[in-house]
Amino acid sequence: MKKVNWLVVIAGAIVGIAAVLLTVLGNPKNMGFCIACFLRDIAGACKLHGATVVQYVRPEIIGLVLGSCIMALITGEWRSKGGSSPATRFVLGAFVMIGALAFLGCPLRMVIRLGGGDLNALVGLIGFTIGIFIGVQFTKRGFSLKRNYTLAVTEGSVLPALMIGLLILVIAVPSLFNSSEKGPGTMHANMFIALGIALIVGALAQRSRLCMVGGIRDGMMFGDFKLLYGFVAIFLVVLIGNLALGSFKLGFSGQPVAHSDHVWNLLGMLLVGWGSVLLGGCPLRQLILAGEGNGDSAIAVLGMIAGAAFAHNFGLAGAAATAEAAGGVGTNGRIAVILGIAVVLVISLANMPKKEAAKAE
Amino acid sequence: MSEFIATFHTHLAAIMADRQLKALGLRSTMLPVPRALSSSCGTAVRYAADSAHIDALGEDAERAYRILPDGKKETYELLYENE
Repeated sequence: MKKVNWLVVIAGAIVGIAAVLLTVLGNPKNMGFCIACFLRDIAGACKLHGATVVQYVRPEIIGLVLGSCIMALITGEWRSKGGSSPATRFVLGAFVMIGALAFLGCPLRMVIRLGGGDLNALVGLIGFTIGIFIGVQFTKRGFSLKRNYTLAVTEGSVLPALMIGLLILVIAVPSLFNSSEKGPGTMHANMFIALGIALIVGALAQRSRLCMVGGIRDGMMFGDFKLLYGFVAIFLVVLIGNLALGSFKLGFSGQPVAHSDHVWNLLGMLLVGWGSVLLGGCPLRQLILAGEGNGDSAIAVLGMIAGAAFAHNFGLAGAAATAEAAGGVGTNGRIAVILGIAVVLVISLANMPKKEAAKAE
Repeated sequence: MSEFIATFHTHLAAIMADRQLKALGLRSTMLPVPRALSSSCGTAVRYAADSAHIDALGEDAERAYRILPDGKKETYELLYENE
């Protein structure tokens, strides 16, 4: 029962190769993939926030959702489902994004940053693991956002259709969108190559159920480490790739798009870990589930986009360290992370089983 | 005696079913849903019994299968479905 699932390892390894490749092809360093950063860039491109350095329609997001969608359609696993506490999921998605942007990366980028030698990501991993541990305590005691239901095809099609629409618009009328003229938003691989790579990764992630949260959660809950091997495979491949390319740099300072505000790196990722357990998966997993027709995950993704807009409109996101400034999380961001942890706690407590269920214990 | 596996619409439903099956004196364990059964990442309950005990699984049980040994692998015979 606890043997290695090679599909997960292979998917993890290919995600790692894709991440290194996308960086070589132009994506920001240690940011071959970052679901939080890329949704934030899309929010900026769509003028939902005004941070001019992070505005670009990242084709990786479109590719991940559509790759999963196509694979699920081929294998007959595409199902239009939804109705499991959607408004709560929207709020959780928003705060997961706010936590991720305080740290400057989703769990997938955290692993990629670790593979680049960024020790700030190790601090993030500690917070992430603590957050998952807290979420697991509630889950084990019966936390539930209630069941989903089979719905009309339109519900499950919402996010894939939005992605197709976004792709058509950005190809046909690119001037509709904001596009950074300086900063990370200008750094990107060729759009069609990135789209192609993400389609493959999305399809593989659908087959393997790759999830940064799921590995640690299943390990804690069931002693099942199958998904965790995917996480480890991404780390090892990115590490080898960085060593081979001479871009591995061990340490806290001088890391690309990162800061060393340790407390807030830890708390930001704690919020991400806890919120993601309640959502049932990391931001990458939400994109993949939305691709295979899960409307609840689509709502979580829309919540993340709204969270990204809030993060940049209200100065909540962490500032990357530069040669001149240490960067870090400002007062607004710190308050937002604490508020996020409080909101996630309230959601956790309010969705515990009622007395009848507790009596059955 | 056969082995069965059930999937659920929520993790809570899996916890409740696991308790019910144990209360019946059956040997049951919770585990992540095998990939062969679902692309979602829910919780399943695996148990050994003379029959599938569908009633003990609760209203949020999604599917129940009999596990058929097939060499090193296992195959699953669908017994119950509640979409």
